[in-house]
Amino acid sequence: MKLLMMSAAVAAAVIAAPAAAQVMTPAEYVMAAGASDLYEITSSQVLLETTQDPKLRAFAQMMITDHTKSTADVKAAAARSRVKATPPKLTPLQQELVTELRAEQGTARDAAYVAQQKASHGQALNVQKAYAMGGTAPALKAAAATIVPVVEHHIMELKAM
Amino acid sequence: MKRHVLSGLALLGCSTATLAQSSNSVNAAPPPPPPATATQPPKAAADMQMVLDQLPLLGAKPIETLTPVKARIQPSAADAAKAVMRKKGMSTAPDPAVTTQDLPYGSDPMQYARIYKPANAGGAPMPVIVYYHGGGWVIADVNTYDAAPRLLSKQLNAIVVSVEYRHAPEFKFPAQHDDAFAAYDWVLQNAQSWGGDTSKLALAGESAGGNLAVATAIHARDSNLTRPVHVLSVYPIANSSVTLPSRTDAANAKPLNAAMLKWFGYYYTSTMADMQDPRLNLVGANLRDLPPTTIVNAQIDPLRSDGETLAAAMKAAGDKVEQRTFPGVTHEFFGMGTVVRGAYDANAYAITRLKAAFGIRN
Repeated sequence: MKLLMMSAAVAAAVIAAPAAAQVMTPAEYVMAAGASDLYEITSSQVLLETTQDPKLRAFAQMMITDHTKSTADVKAAAARSRVKATPPKLTPLQQELVTELRAEQGTARDAAYVAQQKASHGQALNVQKAYAMGGTAPALKAAAATIVPVVEHHIMELKAM
Repeated sequence: MKRHVLSGLALLGCSTATLAQSSNSVNAAPPPPPPATATQPPKAAADMQMVLDQLPLLGAKPIETLTPVKARIQPSAADAAKAVMRKKGMSTAPDPAVTTQDLPYGSDPMQYARIYKPANAGGAPMPVIVYYHGGGWVIADVNTYDAAPRLLSKQLNAIVVSVEYRHAPEFKFPAQHDDAFAAYDWVLQNAQSWGGDTSKLALAGESAGGNLAVATAIHARDSNLTRPVHVLSVYPIANSSVTLPSRTDAANAKPLNAAMLKWFGYYYTSTMADMQDPRLNLVGANLRDLPPTTIVNAQIDPLRSDGETLAAAMKAAGDKVEQRTFPGVTHEFFGMGTVVRGAYDANAYAITRLKAAFGIRN
């Protein structure tokens, strides 16, 4: 990672890139991370209403625990960084995904949940990694760095599903 | 890790004049947009338009104005198609007639493949399709492109290996081609253990993945590997000319426009010279002695001319190639067979061609 950042920094310096990096603002990061957590929690709750699969049930419970914690961590870091954190809100896409999940029953809901989780965790990792690498608010940047391995662990578990 | 240092050094070695492309950061600011084109694209069919209309409802922002990290969290055309399915009362859950398993083929977490298998697979060896997803090598993944590989597995009773590969700008060209080739080699070595028959092996892909399918066929030829019996290339990136007819007549199309093509290139290449590499500019590659190929295009797509000119170049090189442009549909339509008639027709066409290649009768 250090090497990666070094080579990127060297390259950027030499290229004199046409435009500087445009990292998410702290507020954008807080909003994206909060929405992603809220979606994980909400979709996992929808799954728990119907699933008969003990492995999925355990996974969904872990999602609720871990993403509740990351929401709290980001909120605390936002306070330390003096960034105003509005309560998390689903994006229109996430709202649609939850609606789609509710429309499924039984094992179809289980399968839709796993497919959604695989896609959304890839996106969550992308956001956390990007902010951990380039974020401008130190406390939030540190929080993102601690969330990265948690999301990576979820992805590892999902690959076995 | 090594690769990164090397790419950093490669950048250092180049003159600043040729280095107009992005850094390796997902936070790299987007390039300035190309000059605006007034030409409006042809009208999409009503069912196609219904899918396109979902994108703003799902909150989609113009990709060409975003950094890679923000572009990767935008709703996709596949998300839009699912929203239509849901609104029509159809299930958006993955078809249970096909099962999947994710397996690594390299050391990077992105180097894994999703193996699709018919749930009712018997003991007989099955045809194998290596499939590469789209997303301009910058956005999207195997999850985004689930529809086509799942359908091909079910309809052809085949094992479909959908390859995840490292993304740009973190890993620039030719990382994606290197991964595509490595995954192909890995499939050749392992397909038998999954119940696959590599004497019935095909390559397939959409968009950037349509490019990888053809480039991998060239790799198989040049490396004396088992060659695929067929290549299905759906709206490939295949021609680096900026004056192709579709670059203008579909410059303002959705969900892919000319500004996005520039945006993708800015992030996946290290220098403008990369664009002329025969792995990207396939029309300039040695195309002789390639497997029979089917190229599928959409009428309302800035990449339409890529497929059309690639078909002409392959014919000139003596290959057996069939190319069809489907009217009233746009880029990304191929995964929308459940809600877009043109996509259903293109799926049926591709399946017929692959059945013939695999010697499946019906």
